[in-house]
Amino acid sequence: MLRKEQNDLLTQTGPGTPGGRLFRSYWVPALLAEELPENDCPPVRVKLLSERLIAFRDTDGRYGLMDEFCAHRGVSLWFGRNEECGLRCPYHGWKYDVTGQCLDVPSEPEASGFARKIKLKSYPLVERGGVLWTYMGDPAAQPPLPEWEFIMVPASHTYTSKRVQESNWLQAMEGGIDSSHVSFLHRGDLNSDPLFKGAKGNQYNLSDARPVFEVVESPGGLYIGARRNAEDGKYYWRITQWVMPSFTMIAPRGHHAVHGHFWIPIDDENCWAWSFDYHPVRELTAAELSAMRDGKGIHVRCEPGTYRPLANKDNDYLIDRAAQKAGRTFSGVEGIGMQDASLQESMGPIVDRTKENLVSTDNGIIMARHRLLRAVRALVDKGIAPPGVDLEHQKVRSAAVVLPPDQPFQDGAREAMIARPSVAPASV
Amino acid sequence: MTTAAELRFRVQAPNSKARTTSVIALDAPSEAFVRRLSGDRWNHATFLRAAPGDLDAGPEADDGWLTTLGDRRTRIRDEVNAADQVIMVAAPGGHAEVAAVVGRACSRKRVTTTALIVGAADASDRDISTTLAQLRPWSLMVVIANSDDYVSDMMTALRV
Repeated sequence: MLRKEQNDLLTQTGPGTPGGRLFRSYWVPALLAEELPENDCPPVRVKLLSERLIAFRDTDGRYGLMDEFCAHRGVSLWFGRNEECGLRCPYHGWKYDVTGQCLDVPSEPEASGFARKIKLKSYPLVERGGVLWTYMGDPAAQPPLPEWEFIMVPASHTYTSKRVQESNWLQAMEGGIDSSHVSFLHRGDLNSDPLFKGAKGNQYNLSDARPVFEVVESPGGLYIGARRNAEDGKYYWRITQWVMPSFTMIAPRGHHAVHGHFWIPIDDENCWAWSFDYHPVRELTAAELSAMRDGKGIHVRCEPGTYRPLANKDNDYLIDRAAQKAGRTFSGVEGIGMQDASLQESMGPIVDRTKENLVSTDNGIIMARHRLLRAVRALVDKGIAPPGVDLEHQKVRSAAVVLPPDQPFQDGAREAMIARPSVAPASV
Repeated sequence: MTTAAELRFRVQAPNSKARTTSVIALDAPSEAFVRRLSGDRWNHATFLRAAPGDLDAGPEADDGWLTTLGDRRTRIRDEVNAADQVIMVAAPGGHAEVAAVVGRACSRKRVTTTALIVGAADASDRDISTTLAQLRPWSLMVVIANSDDYVSDMMTALRV
């Protein structure tokens, strides 16, 4: 459980909140590059950390992310005309460049200089790895651009999708580090999903539903090791990486791609679930890409033209009780991503953690909250940059390994937990 | 529907009863830590330590002794039988032999065990590994925390 004030601290990320200040210490994924596919394309509304923003790509290919509303009368610039290196409000023609600087106020004499006195709040927006990243914090403290491995490998090695999740970011992220649910909620998918099936590790998962856990603090967050029995007295370890505040990376399976998530607050009751799959040393195959686009693995199918899942709370996630009864799915919901999302959304927009009853296997979640609270206090009280900002903290990998029984996973998988170019992931 | 408005209609009755927890310092360095911890306010917690002589029968013994912080000896079996969960606390360095006896008693009664290594921030990997090897066979969950205040946070989270 958390006390209410602790829950508020971690779940509220709007401007001026301690949790919001934490998120504003990092580069966060804002949009997929495909959302702004060409110069002068239509602008896109995006809400991040409880701020309504407009993103656009100007005539010269520069990206901009700024206050959604015109400084004149508060019209949404989503209606704007993206033309000649600026976004022009269709109401009275005020025009802004990618920095939010007003370039033109047609009703005022150009010589008056009035336009120069108008500037919308804006944030940097930078493409890396098919994702547009933004930094919404103090410009003086802006860290270097992110270097997560999934955005640093060649474009042909990586695939990223996103979906809206109708819950607070924290309960979504906590699902990403809760390894004990896999043997239940996802058990129907391990042997059938094209992005999971065929791995030897799946059999360890399915034959040992009572994993034993070890939680170890890492420089950027946590290593969460789940241990199951393997042959000859050895242990099969699945090591999840969590890097603050909301990057999770799930242990790989067999020859499949490595995958993980970012959970980014839209506002306090909704978040973006970013999902990536990549392979450090090979291109993703056409079949893998097709499966990912079709919502397999950790990805989901969305309503056409949107990032809202086809299975959502308005249609009870298309629950199939017959499939549940037959054991094809454990919860009746299809797909790993929506199995997680459906249950996390069912908790309510912000789960009341004063009522929960955690158990020993929830120590990963307890430790993550502990570290987040510690980081918020250090940031707010002393101005200390939180873990995860340092680029070295981002060079991580999840791993699946079989180790002798007396070998700590943090020793046996030490090299495997570091992202190294051209080195294959450790996977079983 | 799981809207914010619907949250008003969640049943507000208590949904759990208190769990009894035994917190056991397995070695001398962790004893001081557990003593400090015992000064905080907890619901249903008993604080114990492994004192010299408690393990005279050896780590392979079927039962053994622990000592309360008030210096009263008590059988491990009795303490485990009375507990819903056991939290074992140890320091790096490999002096947590009593973990095996406690763990065996917990296995018999199907009592959940959590093991925490405290003081890990300044310890060598070797010392941590030695203690880890003693705890791992007997713990459902092992936590190596750099900050000792984690134990208090964890106990609060578990409603101890």
